[in-house]
Amino acid sequence: MRPIFLTALLFPALLAADLPDPPVTLERLQAIQDAVRDLLPAARPAVVAILTGDGTASGVIIDKSGLVLTAAHVAETPGRELRVVLEDGRRVTGTTLGLDKTTDAALLQLNDTKRDWPHAAVSRRVIEAQPGEWCFALGHPGGFDKARGVVLRVGRIIRQTANSLQTDCVLMGGDSGGPLFNLKGEVIGIHSQIWEKRDENMHVSMAPFLRAWDEMKSSLVIRTWGTGSGGYLGLAADVNPDTELLEVLEVLAGSPSEKAGVLPGESILALDGEPLGGLSHLSNAVKLRAAGDQVRLRLKKGGQEREVSVTLGHRPKEEG
Amino acid sequence: MRPALCLILLAAGASAEMRPSLQPEDRKNGSRTLLALDPVHRQAIKATARLVDTGGRAAALATWVGEDGYLITKASEAPELEKLQVRLADGSLAALREIRRDTRHDLVLAQAIGVTGVTAIPFTADAKAPAFGQWITAPAADGQLRLGVISASSRQIPGLGAAIGVRMDEKPAPGGKGVRVLAVAEDSPARAAGLRDGDILLSLDDDTLSQFSQVSQLISKRQPGEIVAVKYLRDGRERACKVRLASRSKVLNNWEGEDFANGGISLRTDSFEKILQHDLPLGPADMGGPLLDLSGRPLGINIARVDRITTFALPAAVFWPLVKGWIEADRHPPKALPAR
Repeated sequence: MRPIFLTALLFPALLAADLPDPPVTLERLQAIQDAVRDLLPAARPAVVAILTGDGTASGVIIDKSGLVLTAAHVAETPGRELRVVLEDGRRVTGTTLGLDKTTDAALLQLNDTKRDWPHAAVSRRVIEAQPGEWCFALGHPGGFDKARGVVLRVGRIIRQTANSLQTDCVLMGGDSGGPLFNLKGEVIGIHSQIWEKRDENMHVSMAPFLRAWDEMKSSLVIRTWGTGSGGYLGLAADVNPDTELLEVLEVLAGSPSEKAGVLPGESILALDGEPLGGLSHLSNAVKLRAAGDQVRLRLKKGGQEREVSVTLGHRPKEEG
Repeated sequence: MRPALCLILLAAGASAEMRPSLQPEDRKNGSRTLLALDPVHRQAIKATARLVDTGGRAAALATWVGEDGYLITKASEAPELEKLQVRLADGSLAALREIRRDTRHDLVLAQAIGVTGVTAIPFTADAKAPAFGQWITAPAADGQLRLGVISASSRQIPGLGAAIGVRMDEKPAPGGKGVRVLAVAEDSPARAAGLRDGDILLSLDDDTLSQFSQVSQLISKRQPGEIVAVKYLRDGRERACKVRLASRSKVLNNWEGEDFANGGISLRTDSFEKILQHDLPLGPADMGGPLLDLSGRPLGINIARVDRITTFALPAAVFWPLVKGWIEADRHPPKALPAR
């Protein structure tokens, strides 16, 4: 029923490369609990409730000036003044900045920028939010309730796509815009939508935020991204059946790869230190990074290995 | 060389994934993850009694609190205990003797007749409260455990009274007898009892209705979980049904039937002196069973499924001194005074 099963079947080689992890032990669960509990005192005050006029949602403060990440369906349009409730019940105001309706990412600025706001760090390594990783969700489901406080859910990442994460941290109305954290206490997702099953909880990943940080801060409505955009290398590659390595077949003229000196015939071993399993692995790794990001490619030709740094470009329109 | 380029673009469009999706068995409440709870599993299941109705359907769970067959469960899910039975580990059934029904805490103490040697849960009144973010587990009616965390602050849940879930005509019904129903809430007591738009309510228990305001007055004096006998008029014929009242907050929050809890919500979801909030994915028929930490220490009993992400449990400190007293009183009834 869901297209995702079909795409998974398209890459049996990739599946085979990922042997199942051993099941979780009681000790591992204990360590996850300890990590979450250590992170909560710092994470909780960064979570806010946002009153939208006809409803209630959540958000997370990510710098001391009071910049807040939330969902586009919460912000709706740039320049809206909204009331924001802090963990202790204090009410302040914020103004929506830019948003991306395609991916549901949005920014809001608390109006008082002089206060040293409690805040959470954003994970800049989107690629690390992989299926199987443990994570935790915070938010104000059903609206702000001082006696209850922020509501916690602990779970695992089920699926990662170019712009989103699916987890089994169960969400409900009012959670929209709230943060998903990794076990380092960094924000890796923003609660976006649910489907009816308890495992169908969707979060915006950090990719759309990182890609368009400047545009969003300058209150632009971004409509151009669909799934599949992102960074761009400008090379064609495929697995060489003899060497089983990912080999560069062609480097496009004027592309980021050409500027970095990548040559046809070289094999790509790793991207930012992460060994590459196949073609889709490479294209996903590139897509999950923003245009403008630098990536290190480990290349091999003959017996020689070398590393180049490539500044990712925007995917040319006709190919996107 | 050109086709290779097409390939990379196609691949990019077709799959946005890196690692494959996490399989259901490896998710938080998947079968492989729950293997980690094996040491607690046996203990939790032995301490749990399953209550079934006359048709053998799961009605609620209960927690064994005395080796001689004493158990407690959620009172509002077991309004007529005489119609329920305990299904024991060997599959046999035992009848129940109701001992004490306590509306304040929504608890009922009963004894399974003829049952001895069960494993009672060693509740203590002075047990340390679980911490925010601590793992917890509880059995569900399917015999499996669920894994979750203490997900919010422990607190009191004020009560807003009971409701049946109908909107009524403020004008008197034709002929001055009864109150006309204008709308019935989805997933409400009235809907479950079969009431429909256009029905004319004639009486609630022994009270004859002539004004719409009487209905809420009468219902507000009752508790969620209680049963009210309703007489009504439909197509000119007088009919009768029994309505099991629910918490007003449950009915109002789900007027359109927006139950994203997957499996429903308890009839009574409020009016608790103190609760522990957790995120175990349970259903209304899983209430009454024990809540444990991962070392098997009992924390309380599950008392209300509230919404898609919320279950409430009563902490042992709230109910154990009471329940212990009720059991003692039942085991040792006052002796008859000697005749003079």
